[in-house]
Parts: sequence; C-alpha cells; structure tokens
Amino acid sequence: MVMRKLGLPLLALGLGLSGYLALSQPTLPEGPGKELVLAKCQTCHDIGLVARERLSRERWDAVLDEMALQGLKVTPEERSAILDYLATYLGTTPPPPPQAAEAPTAKTGAQVYANCQGCHGPQGEGNPPLFPPLRGHVAKLLGAEGGRNYLLQVVLYGLQGEIQVEGQAYNQVMPGFAWLPDEDVALVLNHLLTFGAPEGLRPYTPEEVKAARAKPLTPEEVHALRQGLRLP
Amino acid sequence: MERVNRRTTLKLMGLGAALLAAGSRGFAQQTPTADQLVKGKHAKLIVLSQRPIVLETPFDLLASQPERTPKELLYVRNNVDLPGYNTVEGAGLEGWTLEVGGLVDKPFTVEAKELLALPQHEVTMVLQCSGNGRSLYQPRPSGNPWGRGGVGNVTFRGVRLKDLLAAKGAKPTEKALFITAHASRQGNAAEFVRSVPIHALEEALLALSMNGEPLPAVHGGPVRLVFPGYFGVNNVKWVAKVEFTEGENTTAEQMPRYRVPTIPNTHLPFLPQEPGGRYPYTFANSRPNWLVNVNSFIFAPLEGQTVEGPYVRVEGVAFNDGIVPIVSVEVSTNGGRTWHQATLERTGRSYGWVRWRTTLYLRPGEHQVMARAWDAAGRSQPLDGNLAWNERGYEYNGVMRVKFTVA
Repeated sequence: MVMRKLGLPLLALGLGLSGYLALSQPTLPEGPGKELVLAKCQTCHDIGLVARERLSRERWDAVLDEMALQGLKVTPEERSAILDYLATYLGTTPPPPPQAAEAPTAKTGAQVYANCQGCHGPQGEGNPPLFPPLRGHVAKLLGAEGGRNYLLQVVLYGLQGEIQVEGQAYNQVMPGFAWLPDEDVALVLNHLLTFGAPEGLRPYTPEEVKAARAKPLTPEEVHALRQGLRLP
Repeated sequence: MERVNRRTTLKLMGLGAALLAAGSRGFAQQTPTADQLVKGKHAKLIVLSQRPIVLETPFDLLASQPERTPKELLYVRNNVDLPGYNTVEGAGLEGWTLEVGGLVDKPFTVEAKELLALPQHEVTMVLQCSGNGRSLYQPRPSGNPWGRGGVGNVTFRGVRLKDLLAAKGAKPTEKALFITAHASRQGNAAEFVRSVPIHALEEALLALSMNGEPLPAVHGGPVRLVFPGYFGVNNVKWVAKVEFTEGENTTAEQMPRYRVPTIPNTHLPFLPQEPGGRYPYTFANSRPNWLVNVNSFIFAPLEGQTVEGPYVRVEGVAFNDGIVPIVSVEVSTNGGRTWHQATLERTGRSYGWVRWRTTLYLRPGEHQVMARAWDAAGRSQPLDGNLAWNERGYEYNGVMRVKFTVA
C-alpha cells in the first residue's frame, strides 16, 4: 500500500531529474563504434556537440570531412566505423533496439578510458605540448599527500589553469566527466592505476566517487587543489 | 493512489527539476555553469558547449538591456579557446605583438601597446553569430542550437587599421583584395583564420576596449580586429597577424564552414535549398557569412507573458549591415495580413541596433505579434525564415513571432 502510494510520485520525481540531466549533458547511446567516437572526437571538443546532433548519413559524412580539415586523424577503417555509428545511432531515424541476444558484458576500465585516450593516448603516453602524459605521472600524483583525492576530482570536474608535468607546461582546458556513472568513474580511475601506482594502493570504489559528488568543485578549484600538492 | 492525481504528479516532476535547477550544489553542478567556465559571466547564460566555449544569452536577459549588452551577458562563440583567456577581465597588452604583412608595400610588426598612442575611434555595433536563430530552421541543421541569443550590441574602441597603416607609411598593393586575419597560436592554440573583402578596411578597428572597459579576454582581448557590419566570425579575436591577400584563406572556417549557397554575381542573397539536403560548397558557388542581414527582434512582450490591456507597448530592436539606414519596422497582429508602422528611436545608418516601439490596442485574450524591418535598399526579412535553410544553419532572419496574452 505504501509502495503503491509512493511509487508514482517517486517515479515522477525521477523523471523530472532525468529530464534535467539529459538536458545538461547529452551522452552517446550504446552501440558498436561508440568507444572510437569517444576517443577521437573529445580530443578537440566536448562530446555533447556530437551527442546532440541528429543528421543523415550523408551529412555526417560531410561533417567527418570537415573535421579532417580541422585535424581529425583516422584510418579509413576507423572512419567507416565512426560513420556507421553516427549514422545509425545519431541519425534522422530512431536507432535499432539493442539486440536481445547480446548478453550484457561487464564494462572494463579500458572501455571507459576511451573517453581519455583521444588526448592522453591509448597507453597514457600523452601528446605534449598539448596534453600531458598519465603514464608515470599518475604514480607521482598518487604518491603525494592529497593526490588520490585530486585524481578523483580532476576526472569528475576537469581542470582549468596552467600546470607543469615532467618539466613541460600545459594549459589546455580539461573537461569534467561527472556525467559518467559512479561505477565508470571508479573503473577508469583504476585503469589509470595500471599505468603505475604506489604499492599497496587500494582501488577506487563507486562509493568513493559518490561521496566526492557531495561537494562539487569548479575546474579552477581543482587547479588550486593540484597547485597545493607537493609533487617531487 | 487516487490521491496522487495527474496534477500532483506533474508538480512533483517539476519539483524534481526545480530542486536541481535551484541547484544549490546538487546535481545541477555536475556540468559547469557559464560563470564557472568563464570568470565574470552571468551564471544563467546557456552553455551550448564547454570546449570550445559557446554561451548563449537567454532572450529575456538580452531584452533586459536594450541599449547595450554588458560583458557579463554577451554571448560567446569560440571556435578555438585561447588557454588562460576564459575571463571577462582584460588581458595584458605587454608583450603582445601584431604582424602586418602580405600584399603590402612595407610589412611591419607593431607592439600592441604602441596602439595606445594612436588616434582612438569608437563604434557601436551589433555582434552576431551567423548561426544565431539556427534552431528555428527545420529540419535541424548541424551546429550549436542557438535560439535568438547569439547576438549583442556593444561599443568597441581602438585604432583603425587604416590609421595604423598610415602611421607606419604602409599601403596595401593593387592586388590586395582581402584582409585575412590570424588569431594567436599561443599556448598551442589551434589555428583560426578568416578573410573579409578589402572594402572592410575603411571601418576595420583594432579594438582594445569594449563598453568603456578593457576588452574582455574571452571576447578577444587584448586586441580584436573588428569589422562593423560583419557577422561575428569575421571579427578575429586575439589577433596576431593581419595579411593582405589576393584570395580568401582556405582553412575550414572559410570553406566549407560559415558560407551559404549562392549564384555568384547575382543579387539573390542565397540560393534556396531543399531542406535536409546537401550542397557541394565551393568558393565559386557559395559566399561567406560576411555582411549582417536585416533582422529585428521583439523585446516586449516576451513569449508567454501576460500583459495589461487594452493598450499594449510592443518594442524591440532592428539592424542591418550599416551600409544603408533601417527605414521602417512594421508589426502585425493578424499573421501578416496588415502591418502597422512602429516608431524608430533614430534614423540614419548605424552599425548598432536601432530601438523601435509602438502601442497596439488589443482585446483581452491570446495574441501573436510579428515584427519586420526594412532598410533603405529595400531589403527586408522573409515571413518564412526556413526559405534560407542551409545545412549548417546560417543567417536566419525570418520574421520573429511572439505569443502573449492580454489580461
């Protein structure tokens, strides 16, 4: 009885929330090629610019040409996989329903890392002088007092302001990834640990991510947090 | 169950959204607000993109400042973000240099601070993204989904490019048909280049200030090359190099972006397209978004408002490329069957917008008002803006319609 009374209002509240969130950050629908799109497009612009569009295959094809003029580098195979994804899932007609036969497989940190590799490289090697390396550097961050929290905050809320990494200055804006679910944020943070981490470091948990959402930071506050770290 | 009726459900849904919108530091904070992305911007600006920064002025806020758009409210459309320049504060002139070259008899480089010693000129102009109004096109074209808030009226002050050339004793050659401006690449910023016809040299201004304050860094400070009468994209921010060239530049922002289809050397403003189709853009079959087309906006009443009757004040602004004056603004409350002439604040040509107003006698109930501007060259606005549909959604200037209620 209680459930019946509360069910609808709670559902309604939920719908209100989801409507708001969907507005604030469009995300890509699931489908083959999604990881490639995440990896290639976010190097230059946020993914919302892609996710909000609904274009014909022809028009997406032209957009990819335009992006190539502006620095997109893809192999012919990658290009056709990206075009298939965009035309199918962000096309002018609704995307096909997910195939029931496909057993849901557990997501891996490497999959979520697709969001990062466009800038930081598939192996965390970075792309100096635009984007700093993660391999080697993450271990130094984690070795510093407050470094563990900083790494979580920078992934959630992004960073704005100049930083020094391995003697090189970097000053691009890093977007935040607060729109990823807690589980995905924890997965990708733990993937970063595979690039090298201090011994005995406990993995990040979704609960830890959830707790960090209680007090959101601005990208500048994250920058201040980093400037406060005593890095070797 | 029976106690939770539809209305309550809707209220709760609204509450869910309101809780977040009110935001405190809840979920709403999960994507940054305009003031977090650009220091000093109004928190209510609509974030169309975080990277590069694209912020739209909500229409009610735009309309609340009908004289001049303050820096806190002015829209932002960056194609390239300059690292460290996401603020409305001014940027230092110290160390900034400007190179002038290409088809000019005496190329030179000037320290930006030297500009302060040259004669200063002021121009009030409409700064408008050529994608403004894009979301009114059907079907939706690609690009930032601007409503009508990608526009502002601002006062720039600085040194005329032609005065700088004269001071340096330099002259463009006969072959110089375009002015091609390059934005700074500092901090490894991506390239941004744009060309305008040499005709624009007459009014071109190296702007150092906006609305009486140092030019905000996010709007191109310390130095922006502005061309009064030209769409936003042509007014290159953080200008580092000005070249005189024989042709338009060939980077993506000149071709195929920021263009509309045309038949060259005809007076057709654009070649209408089948909405939803494609067009093979070339330099020969299209033209760049250069001169601002005739447009008018209704600032009062606002959409959905309830106003006192029967005498209703209708007002707004109108503008064009400033080459000839705006001569009339007409309003209609019967879908364009008859038009009523509004009063213009001033006559004469102007790069800034002209305010207009009129008073209508309206019965209680729902009404729709339309506004249409005309300039002295006989140019006006289409009743059906979709006529100009193009795949990237540029240069929308369809007649604006506002629905409101008279109490």
